[in-house]
Order: sequence, then C-alpha cells, then structure tokens
Amino acid sequence: MTVTQTVFFLMAALTTGAALLVVLAKNIVHCAIALVLTFFGVAALYVLLDAEFLAAVQVLLYVGGITILLLFAIMLTSRISARGVKIMNEQVGMSALVVFAIFALIAFASLKGFAVVGSLPPSSYATASLGRLLLTTYVLPFEAVSILLLAAMVGAIILARREREKD
Amino acid sequence: MNQTDVIEPIHETMEEMYVNMGPQHPSTHGVLRLMLKLDGEVVTGVTPYIGYLHRCHEKIGENRIYTQVIPYTDRLDYLASMYNNFGYVLTVERLMGLQVPERAEYMRVILAELQRIASHLIWMGTFGLDLGNFTIFMYCFREREKILDLFESVSGQRLNYSFYRIGGMPLDFPESFLTECKAFLEWFKPRLPEYDAVMTDNIIFQKRVQGLGKLDQKTAIDYAISGPMLRGSGIKWDLRRNDPYSIYDRFEFEIPVGSTGDVWDRYMVRRQEMDESVKIVEQALRDLPPGEIMGKVPKKLRPPAGDMYSRVESPRGELGFYIVSDGSEKAYRYKVRSPAFVNLSVLPVIGPGHLVADMVAILGSIDIVLGEVDR
Amino acid sequence: MSTLLEGFYSAFAALGVPWIVPRLIVMLVVASLVIVFISVSVMFMIWWERKISAHIQVRYGPMRVGGWHGWAQSIADGIKLLIKEDVIPAGADRLVFALAPMVVFAAALAAYVIIPFGPNLIVRDLNIGVLFYISISSLTVVGIVMAGWSSNNKYSVLGALRSAAQAVSYEVPLVVSILGVIMTAGSLSMIQIVEAQQRIWFVIPQFAGFLIYLTAALAECNRLPFDIPEAESELVAGFHVEYSGMRFAIFFLAEYANMFTVAAIATTLFLGGWRGPLLPPWLWFLIKTYFIIFVMMWLRWTLARLRVDQLMNLGWKVLLPLAFLNMGITGLVLVLRG
Repeated sequence: MTVTQTVFFLMAALTTGAALLVVLAKNIVHCAIALVLTFFGVAALYVLLDAEFLAAVQVLLYVGGITILLLFAIMLTSRISARGVKIMNEQVGMSALVVFAIFALIAFASLKGFAVVGSLPPSSYATASLGRLLLTTYVLPFEAVSILLLAAMVGAIILARREREKD
Repeated sequence: MNQTDVIEPIHETMEEMYVNMGPQHPSTHGVLRLMLKLDGEVVTGVTPYIGYLHRCHEKIGENRIYTQVIPYTDRLDYLASMYNNFGYVLTVERLMGLQVPERAEYMRVILAELQRIASHLIWMGTFGLDLGNFTIFMYCFREREKILDLFESVSGQRLNYSFYRIGGMPLDFPESFLTECKAFLEWFKPRLPEYDAVMTDNIIFQKRVQGLGKLDQKTAIDYAISGPMLRGSGIKWDLRRNDPYSIYDRFEFEIPVGSTGDVWDRYMVRRQEMDESVKIVEQALRDLPPGEIMGKVPKKLRPPAGDMYSRVESPRGELGFYIVSDGSEKAYRYKVRSPAFVNLSVLPVIGPGHLVADMVAILGSIDIVLGEVDR
Repeated sequence: MSTLLEGFYSAFAALGVPWIVPRLIVMLVVASLVIVFISVSVMFMIWWERKISAHIQVRYGPMRVGGWHGWAQSIADGIKLLIKEDVIPAGADRLVFALAPMVVFAAALAAYVIIPFGPNLIVRDLNIGVLFYISISSLTVVGIVMAGWSSNNKYSVLGALRSAAQAVSYEVPLVVSILGVIMTAGSLSMIQIVEAQQRIWFVIPQFAGFLIYLTAALAECNRLPFDIPEAESELVAGFHVEYSGMRFAIFFLAEYANMFTVAAIATTLFLGGWRGPLLPPWLWFLIKTYFIIFVMMWLRWTLARLRVDQLMNLGWKVLLPLAFLNMGITGLVLVLRG
C-alpha cells in the first residue's frame, strides 16, 4: 500500500466518521462542528486528487461560509443549542434500506462501471485551465448558475423584508 | 411620558434574550446593574438596578454633628468631592445665616472649578474608554493628576478632601499655589485642542455618538434632569447663573448648550464647560483678595430650628442638600438630591431602540457616579 | 536548500530506511521552526505593542522585567499564564471548550505554510498560494464560534455572533481587493507574485486595493477599530470571556500570529515581498511586515471602535463596491495593454 493510499483511507475514514457524527450527535452544535470536519475531510480528498483549487474553494465556501451561517442560525435561536435533538423516529428502518441500496449501487458502479479517464493535466496549470474553461467552453452554464444565485439572493432579500414589515 | 416596564429575567422568551450587565462590568462605571432585554443586538428594554453601594449616608448625616458630616459628603460623588463639600457647607451656612469671608469665597470657587475640570476629564477619559479609545483616557488622567497635585498641596488629600468648613476654609493656599495653578492653566489650555484632535474631530467618534440617546426638552424637564444632560437638550439652565450662590455672579463665562439632546451634544457641553471653567479660575485667581479665610463661627454649631434647601451646580447637575434643624447639634432630617441618581432615572426612556454598543455610550454620557446614585 | 534536502533524503535511503521517515523528520523540524518563530515573534509583538501604546499615551510601558526597557515582560507573562489554574466553567461544553483554542491556533499556524520569507524561505510554494490563506483563515471563525458557544455565557455568544457576521462580511472585500494583484501577476503563487514585482511594487498600481486589503485585514484579525467581537466595554471580552490561563494565552497567541500573517501577506502582495537593496531578503521581508504591524498598532491606539451596523455598512456598502471597481479597472487596463 502506497503512502497516498494510506492517507486516502485515513481521510476517508475521518470524513465518514465525521459525517456519521453529524447525523448521530445529540447536540446540534456538535453536529455543526462535525460538519466542519467532514468538509475538511472532503477537501483533503480533493488535495489527494491534485485538485488543490477545488480543495481551497471547498474550505472557503463550506467551512468559511455555509457552516458559519449554520452556526449563526443555531445560536440565534438560543434554546435549540442547549436542548438535545431527537435523532431517531419510526422511519429509521425504511431510510436504512434506502441508504444501503444507494450505497450498493455506488459501490457497484465504482467497481465495475467507469473506465479510467485520460491523464490529468499537471496540477500547476489546474487553476488557470479551470478559469479558462469556465469562461470559454462552460460560460453558458456558469452564467446560468450566477443568475440562479442572483434569483436566490433577491428571493432571500424579499423574504427578509416582508418579515420586517410585519412587526 | 413613557412608562417602562421593569425587566426581570424570568420573562425571557425564545425571541428575546436578557443580559445582565453589571454590577461587575467595565462600562457600568461602578456597581450599577443593568438588566437589558435584547432582540439580537438591539436593546428593547433596560432597567437599572441600584443599591450595591448604599451606605445610609443620609441616616449617618442625622447622627453626626454638622461638622462631622463634611467627610461623609466627600464619599458621595467621589470624583467631585470639593463640590459636595461646597454644597453641604453652603446649606449649613445659609441655615445659620453665616457670612463667609471674601477670600474664602474665592478659594472655594477656584477649587470647585478645578474640581469640575478634573471631574469632566475623568468623564471624558472613561467615555473614550467606553467607545474603545484607550488613549484619551491616559491623556485625561495625566491632566487630572496635575489637578490632584494642586489639591494635595492645598488640602493634603488627593481624592476625599474634606476641605471646606462651615463658615470658611480651614487653611489658606500655600505660597506656591498661585504660581503653580497659573502654570497649570497655561499648560492645560493647549491640551484641550489635543483632545479635540483625538476625540471631537475624529469621524469614527462623531459617527458613533451623533443622534444617539436623544432626550427631548419635555422629557428632560419631566424627569428633572439637570446639569450637562439638561443643557445638552438645549435648555440654558445653569445654577451658577440662574440661581447664583457664593460669588458666581461676579464671573464672566458662557453656558454651552446643545440642540438635539443626543450623546454628541452632551459630550460637547462637557467639553466646552472645561474651557469655561478655565476662564472662571483665571478670573478668580486674578481677583483673589487678601484677608481672613474663616468667618466668625460659634464653637458649637446649633442652627436655629427650621429647614433649608440649597443647591449647587455640581459637574453632574443640581446637587441639592436639604436639612431640617430642630435647634440641636445634629440635623433632624438630612437629604441629598443627587444629580446622578435623577439623571440615571431617564435611562429606561432614552435607552431602548439602540444597540448594545450605543447603550454603553448613552450610559457613559449620563455620567453617573455610583457613590452618589446609591448614597 | 533543495540540494541539501536531496542529500538528506539519499543518506537515509542508503541506510535502507523507508522514504517516508526522513520526510517526516523534515516536516517536524520545519513545523517546530515555524512554531518557535511564531512564539518569539508574538512575544516581541506584544512587548512592542505595549511600548507603542505607552509612548502614544505619554507613558513608558514595561520597564522592569529583564532590565533594558522590560524586554522580558512577555516571557514573564507567558510563564505566568502557563502556570495559572485551568478554569473551565461548570456550565461549559468541556470538549468544545477545550477544542476551540486549538482550532483557532491551528488556523493561524497553517497560514504560515505560504508565507515567503525569502526566495527559498517558504515552507511550500503552493500554486493556489493566496487562496490557501484565504480559505484556511476562515477556520478561525469556526474556532471563535465554538469558543463563544461552549462557554455558555451570553456575552461570549454575542461576541461569537458578531465575530461570525464580521468575518463573513469582510472576507468578501478582502478577497476581491487582492484580485487586482492576482490579475496583474497572473498567478496565485506567492513566489511568482513577488517575482512579478521586479519592476514596481504593486502598492503603486494597486493602491486602492492595498487600502481595502488593509482595512478588511484589520477586521479579519479583530483589531480596533474593528474589535467588535471582543469589545471590552460592551461585551467584557467577547468570545473568550470565560477563558483563562494557557487557553487564553493560545487565543492571544493566535490573534497576534494572525496579525503577522495578515501583514506578511500585505508585504508579499503589495510591498514587493523580500525585495530591497543591500540587506538580506529575509530582513527586508521582516522590516516591511513589522512596519505594517506598526501601522495596525498605531491605528488601534488612536481610533475609537465602530458600531456593529457601521461596520457592516462600511464592509458591504463602501469596501466591496470599491474593491469591485478596483478589480474592474485593473482588468480593463490589463486588457487594453494586451
């Protein structure tokens, strides 16, 4: 087993463990902190794939942005964080079945389905080529995504405004 | 008049957070406790809880002979002890109909106005501290230190002077005092523009205090606000001018007033009052006559039966003393009307609707001294 | 440097040791060197800040410990903090409470990976360079929020909330302000950005970007006039109000380490990094960095604190549009020049 593989399995274990903690921890703030760890694990996996840019963006957006906002929301509703949350209900059997089915599907697909893709571009050019691709070949989806985000932002602002008018 | 509900933590809900500010908090200027009702960071209600420094001052005053009360008055507003002495001895003198020698009157005014500068300096420094500017605090304390040195050379004390006596002053100025005091004023005058550079002209400071904690004239009068807070609201009311005591009618000085009654106006009033106090001290030093410093006072003070309320313009506002005498050596009833206590009572009206940070600035602009609030 | 390393590796390979061992040794040595550098630098900065503040406030500052101008004051303080009792409040979430300072410090430490002290004095010249710093620095906020929440104190929760809001709003202008530099240099790598400043320091063409960066950076490391998360007069000490002893010292260490990082990045991006005549590169780098730190301290001891809403307004309504404008103009100039 090479070093890369060792590191990969360590990181994979960390990511999965942290992800399990996210759904199983009783305290919702602990869940959020475990989520940070999960995102970091994913970022580490990106690094192993030589996608440093993606890893940095993953940390920046998911840890620095999304989790912070999550924690923000949790702490603003002060009583939630103190109380434990219920983590099981009557649908647990059903969901376990679905989860295992999906897991089996993905495992089968990764073992059998995909052929090896062509060689990767050297990592030092990854950022530049990614930028070039975003602004040439994929400019249309890129713009479509930004319009989607803009719409979401406008929607959020309208929702927030309406709240204020009520009181 | 707004009626404000008393805020108790037991009413806490999901949306509102109750924060206990003080009695141990860097910005409550002593042992004041504020109960804040917060919606996020916005203060929706505030109730001051006082009494952590209560010392039964008034009851003590009824169980000591008149002279013995003077040291207790020092501890009222411990940042302006001279003024407390002043107000108290003035009341007893009026009650007894005593005449105070000319020179003593001038000495009283000089010390009192120096005390006003010292008190405003402390206020300015701690106000800067409230807003996160630490440097002005050090500057102000440097100047106050010089005033305290002057007071020490006169009275031997640096904080609780007990220097005024019923009927006059106990000691004359030491020989060096006049030159030292003049030297101090010459040194102090160029310092004031320095404060302006650090505080008044600073855009961050201006933006922080302008438009905060507005106190309109009607509310100010309804709540019996006095001192710089009242003048900040635009009412030209200064007891030194409107109800002159001692020899204040002999001096020329301006009464700075604000216009909108916000924190900025209160700041500017106090800042300009320092200029005016310097003027008064200069005039008093110039006119200081020679002569006696202690009037003819009987050995045992037995004021005639009756009552007397007399007030002085302390750095914080109208400091009143009410004494009922039954003709004995001790007061029958002794009551202090402390400006800080009365001014603090308006906080639940002007506080809500601001952010926590502004709450600190508003509280700072009221300029409370807990020794006086609780007595 | 690299030949030395190769020699070190091959010596181990000749002994038949697995190739991971010498590399681990090198990593450990480098990491320890960085930590030692941080500690010494932070101790110096604390002493220096006390001296600067003292001289701004017409006093002397520490004068006793160690003899000459109290140079050993920080060491004494550090020892005091180390041997203090470790207090954890009864209502605190013990695990998160203990983890929080480590998270904050880890974030501060990780940022040192990309600081180029000299042409070869860089731990790792990542090709995502600046982006690495930006992403890793966002971890600090997680630590601060953890600390604020786990202390189970309303003041610290308020401080943590403020900190989170502040970090989210100031990260955006910070990132956009350095885009101008990245566009001009055409690279994210710290070494290449310094190389690109051979003719002219970026502070001249990118002056607006420099000012925006400096302002946003002050907010990023919670320094006055943006020290709202710990605002002493309002929130007592904000998120670390319940921390004492060594845990508090770690927060303190991380704060000053962050200050150094921010200044070092400013030096690299705008002030030509290690470039300068006569003196060795590392010395130039330190001089420039400490100059920026000095400016930050100078601001701290002269200005008052902003209010929360003013801070947000400044970030979103002034800095961000300006940063975008700066980016747009830079792009236009670059395109017109070809």
